[in-house]
Amino acid sequence: MDTSNPSVFVNAELLRLYVGCRVRAVIQVLRSDGGVVTGKSTDENQIIVKGSPPVPLSNFVEVIGIADTEKSIRAEIWSNFGNTFDTHTYNQLCQLANGEFKHLFL
Amino acid sequence: MAKCVSPDAISTILANPSPESSSDVPDIVVQVIDLKATGASGNRFMFTANDGKMKLRGILPTNMSSEVMSGNIQNLGLIRILDYTLNDIPNKPEKYLIVTKCEVVSPPLEMEVKSEVKSEETGIVLKPKQENGIKSEVKSEVPGIFLKPKQEMVAKSAAQIVHEQRQNMAPAARMSMTRRVFPLVSLNPYQGSWTIKVRVTSKGIMRTYKNARGEGCVFNVELTDEDGTQIQATMFNEAAKKFYDRFQLGKVYFISKGSLKLANKQFKTVKNDYEMTLNENSEVEEASNEETFVPETTFNFVPIDSLGPYVNGTELVDVIGVVQNVSSTMSIRRKSNNDTIPKRDITIADETKKTVVVSLWNDLATSVGQELLDIADKSPIVAIKSLKVGEFQGVSLSTLSRSVVLINPDLPEAKKLRSWYDSEGKESSMASVGSGMSPSSKSGSRSMYSDRVSLSHILKNPSLGEEKPVFFSVRGYISFIKPDQAMWYRACKTCNKKVTEALGSGYWCEACQKNDVECNLRYIMAVKVSDASGEAFISVFNEEAEKIVGCSADELDKLKSEEGEENPYQLKLKQATWNSHLFRVSVAQSEYNNEKRQRITVRAVAPVDFAAESRFLLEEITKMRASK
Repeated sequence: MDTSNPSVFVNAELLRLYVGCRVRAVIQVLRSDGGVVTGKSTDENQIIVKGSPPVPLSNFVEVIGIADTEKSIRAEIWSNFGNTFDTHTYNQLCQLANGEFKHLFL
Repeated sequence: MAKCVSPDAISTILANPSPESSSDVPDIVVQVIDLKATGASGNRFMFTANDGKMKLRGILPTNMSSEVMSGNIQNLGLIRILDYTLNDIPNKPEKYLIVTKCEVVSPPLEMEVKSEVKSEETGIVLKPKQENGIKSEVKSEVPGIFLKPKQEMVAKSAAQIVHEQRQNMAPAARMSMTRRVFPLVSLNPYQGSWTIKVRVTSKGIMRTYKNARGEGCVFNVELTDEDGTQIQATMFNEAAKKFYDRFQLGKVYFISKGSLKLANKQFKTVKNDYEMTLNENSEVEEASNEETFVPETTFNFVPIDSLGPYVNGTELVDVIGVVQNVSSTMSIRRKSNNDTIPKRDITIADETKKTVVVSLWNDLATSVGQELLDIADKSPIVAIKSLKVGEFQGVSLSTLSRSVVLINPDLPEAKKLRSWYDSEGKESSMASVGSGMSPSSKSGSRSMYSDRVSLSHILKNPSLGEEKPVFFSVRGYISFIKPDQAMWYRACKTCNKKVTEALGSGYWCEACQKNDVECNLRYIMAVKVSDASGEAFISVFNEEAEKIVGCSADELDKLKSEEGEENPYQLKLKQATWNSHLFRVSVAQSEYNNEKRQRITVRAVAPVDFAAESRFLLEEITKMRASK
């Protein structure tokens, strides 16, 4: 397993703290046009994802890439996560992985 | 000998919390301020050590009490600390100075020593500055405030001064003046006397009990101080009767002479390592100038359809819902003492389109319950805090003495619920959250969250199930299915019992007393299950094994006899391996070759619901952090 370039689990609130870093986030797709996907983060805010999304794009998608601004990610990897997803639990994961248990993740 | 404080005396003390002996202690002279009597008979003296820059609370040794009482050590005087220990105050960065040996240096100075904040001169003699009254040595040429020790004053001991002040004061004022209020966070079982100033933020009802020693009554209160620290205080019998009416929700009291002990983590309701007990000698006085303030109840609502994982757990939940039904009051007889207590059941529903029954007990049944009954046709919204989650009919909620019920509260969740109900909720069909979770249901997901343990819990305890089988739920992976084991038995098509090969052809069932040409194969196998804590061999019977393997025993038998490069039988078993499942298991003891062995049997198997499981894990993480 290649652990050389870990990505941080983020929601919209955490994304702001990791601009320029490699991040991963699950978003609910609100709009997709051109190479820009507008998504709802697991903490109910908006995140813009740039890149080439898979076709077809499912309701929930995980993106991994570089956070180029406080509100957007330049995605390198897209993974369709299907049409149902427990956003609350994922949000808790983001908070735990960047808080008390950060040392286990990065 | 310079009659002034040693510069940075406090820092010196802080840097060396436990000097080996008095020879290890440099020359430390400090000024005594806030000198006051303490201890059971007022014969020990607490003070604050002041070096002009920093202050440190501390206590003088008992052998110095006579010096204080005779007036040799007075407030604002100087002492040299010859030996000491520095103690920690739990949960606070400050330390407590226990002086074990000291000597008098100077009678009281005119005022508290204060050094200039920007002063860079930390020389041996503090130079007087114009702005603050820094005391200097007796060098009168230097301009500035010159203070000389007040030898003219009548030497009054601290005890005398305190007594004089006390004499003519009204009780309440007396308390706040002569006793320093301690922050709740500094209290510990080893500290002598303290006074706290706290507000009652929760008051329980008086409960009666009967134990081997007789009968008694008890109640407790939750106390919060200005810093927000909380502690639970309990009173029994005489103390309970004495203070029950005095303690009122929302009022502020000065409390002293209580005792502290480590809190029993199992019953902890408030975040504090300690809990307090008050007896008849404890002092509780209402603080006259404080406004009564009942803190707003804060809620953390759990949607009705998410109550499953809380069943039979210790965590209390808050719910909000629309009242669908209110029962009449029932009288329930308590088994322990034959008391009858009133109960009323209400059914509530929320946007998850699930309903749940909440049992209101005691006062809540009679007061709030009656109110709800009167307005039930208006489908009121009810928000309830601190409910116990039980398993009656799948999921049931029960109030406790600390539960709070609000009718049609002014909360955003209530507004959302109201608009949902008025628009669509009224008409929609709703199901009880408990249905489909009955204990007898074999794949009941509810039972997969109750008595959840890790495999190590079962393995570490060989005496489990000694008398009668114990049940648990476990989440684990099938880690190994031995291909060559007797995986099934021949079963009667009618009654499933084992059949024997009949003379001639066919099979004979002893139970049905008949012959049959055919029989069924039914699984009876041992599989190895592993989780993060350990691994165990578990027996699995037909229905559950079919779910694990993915086909019936008859089908697997056919695969076994098939030829092919990759034996499809082995392949099928491989495919069943490393799948995770939720298991309901029974643990019992059996004897084998005169040895007692633990037998674990699967009673039900269910697929892992990852979302529900994740929520369960999050709850476990929270429990782990809370119990630290």
